[in-house]
Amino acid sequence: MNLTTATHIAQSALSTVSAESAVVSRNISGVNDASFSQKIANVITTFDGGSEVASVTNAQNQALFGNVLSATSASATQAALSSGLTSLLNIVGEPGSDTSPAEKLTDLTNAIQQYEATPSSSSLAAAAVNAAQNLASTLNNATNTVQQVREQADTQMASSVASINSLLTQFKNVNQQIVTGTATGADVTDLQDTRNSILTQLSQQIGITTTTNTNGDMSVYTDSGVALFQGGTASTVTFQPTQTYTAGTTGNAVYIDGIPVTGSSATMPIQSGTLAGLATLRDNVTVTYQAQLDETANGLISAFAETDPTNSSNTLAGLFTNGGSTALPTSSQLTGLAGNITVNAAVDPSQGGNPEKLGNGINFNFNTSNQASFDTQLKQYLTNLSATQSFSSAGGISTSNTLSGYAAASVSWLDAEQQNVTSESAYQSTLLSTSTTALSNTTGVNLDDEMSQMLDLENSYSASAKLLTTISSMFADLANAIDQATAA
Amino acid sequence: MSSFISSYSITWALRQSVLTAQSNLAQAQQEVSTGTYADVGLALGAQAGQDINLRNQEALLQTFTSTNNLAATNLGTTQNVLSGFQTTAQNLLTALVGGTNQNQTASALQQQAQSALESLISGLNTTENGNYLFAGTNTAVAPITDYGASGSANQAAVNSAFSSFFGFSQSSPSVSSITASQMQSFLTTQFAPLFQGTNWSSDWSSASSTTTTSEISPSMTVSTSVSANNSAFQDLAQAYTMLSSLGTQNLSSSALQTVETNAENLLNAGLSGLTSVQSGVGVTQSDITTANNQMSVELNVLSTQVGNLENVNPYEASTEVTNLQTQIETSYSLTSQLSQLSLVKYLS
Repeated sequence: MNLTTATHIAQSALSTVSAESAVVSRNISGVNDASFSQKIANVITTFDGGSEVASVTNAQNQALFGNVLSATSASATQAALSSGLTSLLNIVGEPGSDTSPAEKLTDLTNAIQQYEATPSSSSLAAAAVNAAQNLASTLNNATNTVQQVREQADTQMASSVASINSLLTQFKNVNQQIVTGTATGADVTDLQDTRNSILTQLSQQIGITTTTNTNGDMSVYTDSGVALFQGGTASTVTFQPTQTYTAGTTGNAVYIDGIPVTGSSATMPIQSGTLAGLATLRDNVTVTYQAQLDETANGLISAFAETDPTNSSNTLAGLFTNGGSTALPTSSQLTGLAGNITVNAAVDPSQGGNPEKLGNGINFNFNTSNQASFDTQLKQYLTNLSATQSFSSAGGISTSNTLSGYAAASVSWLDAEQQNVTSESAYQSTLLSTSTTALSNTTGVNLDDEMSQMLDLENSYSASAKLLTTISSMFADLANAIDQATAA
Repeated sequence: MSSFISSYSITWALRQSVLTAQSNLAQAQQEVSTGTYADVGLALGAQAGQDINLRNQEALLQTFTSTNNLAATNLGTTQNVLSGFQTTAQNLLTALVGGTNQNQTASALQQQAQSALESLISGLNTTENGNYLFAGTNTAVAPITDYGASGSANQAAVNSAFSSFFGFSQSSPSVSSITASQMQSFLTTQFAPLFQGTNWSSDWSSASSTTTTSEISPSMTVSTSVSANNSAFQDLAQAYTMLSSLGTQNLSSSALQTVETNAENLLNAGLSGLTSVQSGVGVTQSDITTANNQMSVELNVLSTQVGNLENVNPYEASTEVTNLQTQIETSYSLTSQLSQLSLVKYLS
């Protein structure tokens, strides 16, 4: 050992402290970034006793990160469903707000009840027809809303697919750099953070799982097991959007390299993420609700159908018609019936009709002796409205019920869906919050910790600097002593 | 082992708890002020349909209550008109039984009977809200033809029956030659059928024999009117017409006696018929009152049930508001204290 070696060691200490300070300041700059992981400078002792920063690694926890990804996906599924359901809930409103088809049906029943009590009153007849029109337009608007929700979901699916493809392209790029960097021993920690951030964004759109090789290469699969990124190649996600939705429209499936992952044809359907939520909304929830609306409309048309008094096999649509047709709707016309139901023009004053025909007969004249207080038909309608009808199982609720009971059950169904989504959503966001906190506590930065490290570094920097000055003065002393000896 | 917490998760936890508490507070405040759930549909879920069904029943019962008021008014008017008929008929019967001085009484009786007939006709043509009360379901048309109007079908039928049977009109002096047995034969074979069956419905009444019916409660339908075709009114009309338009002032005393006896029988039959009609109306009136009382009890129960579903416990809601306020205040003071708690502050 000699003074030159000591100088060398002190110099290496100064450069190590500088490198460590750089890492500390990187950490401090990332203190408020959720996707930033704490960087750790790995210091080693060199052959001559000095020190150097051999590599920079980052704090990682793959298991916790996986939890965050799956919680993000599940949370996004519920958010997508919830926004669609909120639009549907505007159709039914709050109980008592008189907006739902069920409540409009009650209004109609009450109006007919009042008309039946005074059948000679043309103003009560007009009020009953008006209530019928309100009900028909509520069903029409509900159908429009449901189909709009489907259109929006379809558009959002297209943008979700576009965003998945763009994220996969970015991912491919970053992944390639990490593989190369790992091979050459470069600092890839920031790239890893970027890659994780891309994965988090991807998990918003679609549920994913990941595996990492020792060379730093990562593969990404959907939660159903379809490869999204494997062996350095990104899959192509394709989706053909549908512009206009009617009740009978079936939306297209999303394909990953030709494999369907949504819809009824999917063998490996994705479970979570915005895309899965939107697909459920577009293909299940809205379709079921539309079926309930259609069944309600069909029940209405049949409750008000008129049977020819001279030929009991001749039954025609009365107060409510399928788009103005006198024929009762056939089973193939049921889909979207709620969008087509209209009040018969023959009783609509705005189309030159006479509301009193509601009581006397629209297609046939039941009031043959032309009596002002004829109410047999009105009583029949009230009986029909409170009678049990059978409904298609496509609505997913009771198949045997009164019409008003069915309409109320439909409200129940929608509110129960919303309740499920809300509680599931609350659970998933709690889970996401817990996972994020756990991950952050494992891989995140603590400012105070960094600051105290900074103090340590400052101290060792001044100590090394002091050492250098001391060695320098020792050399100076030595030089002086030699000078004096020479002079003497 | 030292524990580690990232600075991000310290602040994030605080931010999250303030956000959650604030949105809960907004909801709790609304619940305190309205007394019902902030989002009833969400709170009830699958029970929302039950809520709607209850409200549905409530609305239906309210409709029944209001239509029952209408029916009760109609029945009240009907009852008043019937009492009027009762009095008129009773007075005429008293005059008939107590009559002594023949000539004067005959003409007085004729006038009294005529005014009784007029009041019967106008009574049966009573309207309520533009509907003829005694017209059965044919409420748009006045049920009884006005006998006094010239050329009216009922008057013409009586006149032609009289002249074709006796060969002269009621005002002819020959009326005094009619014998009691001739009169009896005319009354039985010619006169009485004018007030029955198809003659009644073609000459006298355009009312429907089908009375109007109303549902007064979800389980009960009652007849809410009396038809002018009721036999009580036919009997009264026959008795009044008999006394007023058969030229009774000129009849021989024996023939007059026959007319009076027949009229007396008809009045008695009519009065007893009226009484049973009145009691029928009375039963319906009491049915309506009973139904209304029962429905008001049911309405109370229903509104309690709706309340049970939709209302929040006010104590719970206001306690929640207080708790949330405390929680938010604590979060604020924690945030401010934690922001002071940084090593940076102590380094110079």
